[in-house]
Amino acid sequence: MTCNLGILDSLNVDSIAEISENWNGFCSTSEALLKGSGDLSFSAEFITQVKNLCEHGLTSLVEQHFLRCVQETFERNGARRFWSYFEPYSNVAPLETNKDPILEEEIQQVIRKALEEISSEKQYQEKCLLLLAHALQSYEENKSQGQVNPDSTRVYLFSKYQLIVSSVLLASFPRHFPGILHWYFKGRLEELSTIAGANSEDDDELGMDDKMDLDEKSKLPDKCGNKDSDRNHEYARFSGNNKLVKNIGMVVRDLRNIGFTSMAEDAYASAIFFLLKDKVHDLAGDDYRSSVLESIKAWIQAVPLQFLRALLEYLGDFTSCNDPSSGLKSPLASHPSLCYSGTGIPSEGLVRWQLRLEYYAYETLQDLRIAKLFEIIVDYPDSAPAIEDLKQCLEYTGQHSKLVDSFISSLRYRLLTAGASTNDILHQYVSTIKALRTIDPAGIFLEAVGEPIREYLRGRKDTIKCIVTMLTDGTGGNTNGPGSSGDSLLEELNRDEESQENTIVDDDINSDDKQAWINAQNWEPDPVEADPSKGSRYRRKVDILGMVVGIIGSKDQLVSEYRVMLAEKLLNKSDYDIDAEIRTLELLKIHFGESSMQKCEIMLNDLIDSKRTNANIKATIKHQPQPERRDLEVSLDNLNATIISSNFWPPIQDEAVNLPEPVEQLLTDYAKRYTEIKTPRKLMWKKNLGSVKLELQFEDRAMQFNVTPLHASIIMQFQDQKRWTSKNLAAAVGVAVDVLNRRINFWISKGVLVESTGADSADHVFTLVETINDTGKSGTIDGGCEELLAGDEDGEQSVASVEDQLRKEMTVYEKFITGMLTNFGSMALDRIHNTLKMFCIADPPYDKSLQQLQSFLSGLVAEEKLELREGVYILRK
Amino acid sequence: MATMNSGNNSNTQATAQVMPSPKQTLPTAKTVDTQSVLKRLQSELMALMMSGDSGISAFPEEDNIFVWKGTITGSKDTVFEGTEYKLSLSFPADYPFKAPKVKFETGCFHPNVDVYGNICLDILQDKWSSAYDVRTILISIQSLLGEPNISSPLNTQAAALWCNQEEYRKMVEKLYKPSA
Repeated sequence: MTCNLGILDSLNVDSIAEISENWNGFCSTSEALLKGSGDLSFSAEFITQVKNLCEHGLTSLVEQHFLRCVQETFERNGARRFWSYFEPYSNVAPLETNKDPILEEEIQQVIRKALEEISSEKQYQEKCLLLLAHALQSYEENKSQGQVNPDSTRVYLFSKYQLIVSSVLLASFPRHFPGILHWYFKGRLEELSTIAGANSEDDDELGMDDKMDLDEKSKLPDKCGNKDSDRNHEYARFSGNNKLVKNIGMVVRDLRNIGFTSMAEDAYASAIFFLLKDKVHDLAGDDYRSSVLESIKAWIQAVPLQFLRALLEYLGDFTSCNDPSSGLKSPLASHPSLCYSGTGIPSEGLVRWQLRLEYYAYETLQDLRIAKLFEIIVDYPDSAPAIEDLKQCLEYTGQHSKLVDSFISSLRYRLLTAGASTNDILHQYVSTIKALRTIDPAGIFLEAVGEPIREYLRGRKDTIKCIVTMLTDGTGGNTNGPGSSGDSLLEELNRDEESQENTIVDDDINSDDKQAWINAQNWEPDPVEADPSKGSRYRRKVDILGMVVGIIGSKDQLVSEYRVMLAEKLLNKSDYDIDAEIRTLELLKIHFGESSMQKCEIMLNDLIDSKRTNANIKATIKHQPQPERRDLEVSLDNLNATIISSNFWPPIQDEAVNLPEPVEQLLTDYAKRYTEIKTPRKLMWKKNLGSVKLELQFEDRAMQFNVTPLHASIIMQFQDQKRWTSKNLAAAVGVAVDVLNRRINFWISKGVLVESTGADSADHVFTLVETINDTGKSGTIDGGCEELLAGDEDGEQSVASVEDQLRKEMTVYEKFITGMLTNFGSMALDRIHNTLKMFCIADPPYDKSLQQLQSFLSGLVAEEKLELREGVYILRK
Repeated sequence: MATMNSGNNSNTQATAQVMPSPKQTLPTAKTVDTQSVLKRLQSELMALMMSGDSGISAFPEEDNIFVWKGTITGSKDTVFEGTEYKLSLSFPADYPFKAPKVKFETGCFHPNVDVYGNICLDILQDKWSSAYDVRTILISIQSLLGEPNISSPLNTQAAALWCNQEEYRKMVEKLYKPSA
């Protein structure tokens, strides 16, 4: 104003009067113009007034005043009314879950109505603005004889105006508006999605759509007609929902028009992502038996991309919309050229959208699968499709570390707990290996994931036993294990290997130069720790067995555990049938080498030899029938011996037992015949081992049992004497009283004997139950044939377990360690280790690792036998 | 210079002449011997470790099984109760046909032990037999502590004091310097 006052000073009275008249006129006309409802009757008057004022150099004043009027009017008429539409819904929008269709419909209407109204208001104001622009422009043109850029004023005014509109709206922006928008788009997209879903279900019912689309289709360029008929078809179907898309498009366009371009985009983008996420969750769900990635991709193509394509088409190009000048053109005039971005060549924006959506889908699915990876691996062979999906997702997103972290934590939480059985953990471990090697053939992530499991398993005592069982025995023992398909892991591995070798051979045949080139391009250096002897093919296979053995650390421990198990199994055999064991041994040999399995092989050979020797000895009886054979209650025919080379067997539990006289005699006889055949060898009986088939004849029943020799000789004592005290019986059988008491429980539980307390409380009396009625028990077992290996019941084993052996070895080491520490005072770990290595040449020489020794020593420290002070061990006195 | 050289030469020649003879004669005999001696010592160590006798212990030093360190503690109800003595045992190459050399490493105030730790014990000298082993040697020395042979003392002061057990005990305590 101040600058204008300077001009006013230099004016004469006439001019002042003219200016003030014109100014007053201008003010009232512009007010009337803006308030008027589309009535442009003042336009001529308005233009002259503007021209007059401009002639007096008041151009900027005119502009400013008019814009302020526009702003005030817009505030009053446009913005306030616009926002008032949404006021009733201020607390509705946050309730995303609210699916009230009536409310939804209402909001939809309200949004449309409000936007329409504000757009028309804006449109009208733009017209007024255009009027002003024309007036100013014509004045400028007159003044400078058309040398001025004709659009500059208009551009300037419209950009000002656009700024005013958005700032006015944002100044009174209610917080819940984006929520309403989001809700709106979500609702519409869901509608679209259901329509698309329904359409794809009944593809045949397209006739109805076709008619509606006819005009739409005719707009399409012909060139894409035949080429991409399928897509076209889809597109056509989708444009059946054109009305809906048009509605949405209108809303988006109107929103852009009032300066909410990015807000509108955010709103529909978030709605699309929301829908996509729902869709992924819906499709993926908890079913891991089928691959969902393709259907998700198809859905992205079918719903959101089609929608976006239609929307973008409807709205026109982004860039032109963002241009401030676009407001000048009638917003309803769509760009006909944009139809080219339709079906044939997707526009750049659409491609970007597709990539965005696909990445989001991959990421969502990946997160979903990673979160459930534990379950997926639990039902691994069935869940292979889910693993395959996950692999593709990870290839796309590269978020492997997410998988590792999440899986390790779920392992810690769910598997590596005291409640999980070692068997289950091992099965899960193997499944993990199998599953993850699909995702990560190089085994790097597998290494990271497997380490916590291995670490945990090392802390469990029965790990080795379980591994050996799992490797060698699929059916026996642990039928309740989840992965026992009736086949041992070893067999499975063998099969895998064979099939793998076959495919490799196929590859070699098929590979041409091109394939070789691809292979060469894909070559990656092996990790440093890779075993060069394994040889890296283009894709190194993950060595399951190696990883399982890796839990224990060395195959030797595994082999010795297997030896114990094998010994147990062989000693309990009565029929020399070792085909299964031979097969297992052969498989183990493949993996562990012949030399380490040598002892086991000798054990099996012992069985084969035993069978032959046994037959030979039996043959000698037939040649020279013995006269006194009648006296024996049992003949040699009933005796089968297993002859073992005890040096190669694991230490065998020896327990003295007095066998009944006839059996003793039989054994001696057998041994004698053996010596005759195999001089100079002699048999040494392990009388407590083996099994005895018994038939007990009672007054009213007969029972059959398969028991250990000790059990048999206990019951034999009752043949002549019906009552025994435990002391006497123990003496007769030749075992300690407590052993007897433990073993005799078997017969008591079978109802063959009853126990009663004798005169001395420590001395029990056992009585034979001759008839069932004696005890009043129901005769459920009478005459029944009980086939039981009683030895198993007590959990007794004929072979010293590896643990027992180890403990025995360790006591030797303990004495040595005490000895050296007594004489040397204090010693460091490695000196103890070296000294043991040098001087402890016990029966099994000292062969422990430094780590094993250390854990043993810390055990001694815990027992307060040793003290660890500044890295050296000292005896505690 | 020339004479010096020739002198040197003759020296080396001399040694060269002396050396071959043991090298040629001994190897066969010695290797067999060493093997059996090694075995014998190893099994003695094993037996000693497993025996679990209280108060006696010995163990080969570092990497040489022919040199052992021993430890004996004074038996109960003797003047040596509560003391601990380190010994060194070195075995000859023809062990067990010759006795090992046993010495006290810790100073021991005893009629049959001199200031250098030498022990006067019949089985370590003329009464040695291959039937003895480390364990019996250690047990003998342990019992020698409580029952010295006063008639042939190496430490006459100790022998003289032996009759007064109380004074003797005080002397033992005064002179006892346990090894770290």
